[in-house]
This record gives sequence, structure tokens and C-alpha cells, in this order.
Amino acid sequence: MLGFVFDPCEKCEKMMQPYLDRVLTEEERREAEGHLEGCAYCRKRYRFEEEFRKFVRLATAEPMPPELKAKLAALRTPL
Amino acid sequence: MSEPTPESSPRQLATDARDRVRFEEEALELSDQVYQVARRLTGSREEAEDLVQETYARAFRAWRSFTPGTNLRAWLFRILTNLNIDRGRRIQRSPDMQPLEENDYFLYNRLEESAGDANVDERRVVERLSQNDTVVALADLPHDFRDVVLLVDLADFTYSDAAQILDIPIGTVMSRLHRGRRMLKRALAESAAGETGES
Repeated sequence: MLGFVFDPCEKCEKMMQPYLDRVLTEEERREAEGHLEGCAYCRKRYRFEEEFRKFVRLATAEPMPPELKAKLAALRTPL
Repeated sequence: MSEPTPESSPRQLATDARDRVRFEEEALELSDQVYQVARRLTGSREEAEDLVQETYARAFRAWRSFTPGTNLRAWLFRILTNLNIDRGRRIQRSPDMQPLEENDYFLYNRLEESAGDANVDERRVVERLSQNDTVVALADLPHDFRDVVLLVDLADFTYSDAAQILDIPIGTVMSRLHRGRRMLKRALAESAAGETGES
């Protein structure tokens, strides 16, 4: 050993955001999936991240006030 | 599209009116999505309503500058984010560019730790987070970071659309997005720890 530790989970952690954003190259995606297949630790964290993204979206959603729709329609150019 | 002149033929005028009606209808179909982001850019429902109305008033006035067949949603969001800057959003200190200690697994690790069970179902861990804390944490992000997180994570824009909307390079979108998400997680980890009585 040369005192250099390559931690595949650390690499997998770095690939999580781009993986879920679907911007990894094909080769990187295969590498991440190969690691995830054998690593329950990273797999849990990726699944959590997916749930977390859904949660943020739902938690911050607020229905548009119905009267605003009417106000916007009134801004249209009269025919 | 050129502005019709008084000499325009009735046929030209009719085509112009038809294009405008279609443009306005398509823009209005996107109003829910515009409102969602406006609501998170502003501190209150009233401010969000004003911002959305200004966005549509400007869009309807400027409809000729939209090129049919290009991305109307991105075009509208560009108006929205520009107006949000124009309305003099709070001046803030320049964002803290110190490296963040926390990496992307940080929030999960903290929540798992506080659950005291490494076998906890990861799909249930998210239930430990509070909706209100999430709204507050997002609102508290420095604006440059929050804008990118809103466009990509809430409005589903690609990195490249977000770059065009905000008029910043794509690399800046990526770095602000990754950092913004981590800041959000750090804030949520802190509030979740606070709620379980930990420091």
C-alpha cells in the first residue's frame, strides 16, 4: 500500500447528485450502479435521497389561489 | 413577429390575433408552475401573487419577442426571475464560499444516528423531517443558491435551461445547485437535531 486509500463509497457519494440528475456519462452511471448493487450502505443513501427530493417538492408546494387564475386571465389582451 | 401596421391586411390582423390568443392560452396553462416558484421566491402569498401578475402582464405585453417553437416555460421563468431581482429583493452579503464540511450523505447519516437504528427503513427516515422546517430552510438559502435549487428541483428545469433563465454559465448552475442542496440538508439536520433535543 502506498498510503493512498481509495474509498469506493466516497466516490459513490460524489456521484449521487449527478446520478439522480441523470447527467453522468454512460460509463460513470455503470460504475455507480455496479457499486450500488453490492453496497447496501450507499444504496440506502441513494434511496433516501430520492425520497428526500420528493419530500422537499411536496413540503414546499402550495396550491395557487383560485382567484389569481381569474386575475391573470383578466390581463389578457381584449379581442 | 413584426407588429401589424394600420396598413396590415385583414388577413394579417386575423393571423396576428390568433397567434396572440394561442400564446396567451399556452402561457396561462403554466401559471400553476410559475406560482409555485414565485411563492418560494417571496416571503408571502400576497407578494407571490403580485410577482406572478407582473410576470404575466409583462409576458403578454412582450409576446412578440417570444419565438414560437422555443421553450415558453423557460421564457416565462426568465421574466419571473428578472422581475424578482428588479423588485429589489433583500440585499444580502455575498454568499459564504467556505467549503462545506458536510457531504451528500450527511443528512441521512444524521437522521439515522438520531433514530439510533442502523436498520431503519430509509424510506421512512424522511418522515422525521418537518414540512415547516423545510419551507424555512429553503427560504433561508442565499438567493443565488436558492434560485438554482428552485428551478432545478422544484420546477424540473435542466441545468442548461436554468443557466439560460438566470443568464449564468452552466458550471455555475452546477456548483450553486450542489452547494445549495447541501446547505438545505445541513439546515434540516440542525433543525431535526434541535427537535430531538440534541445539540
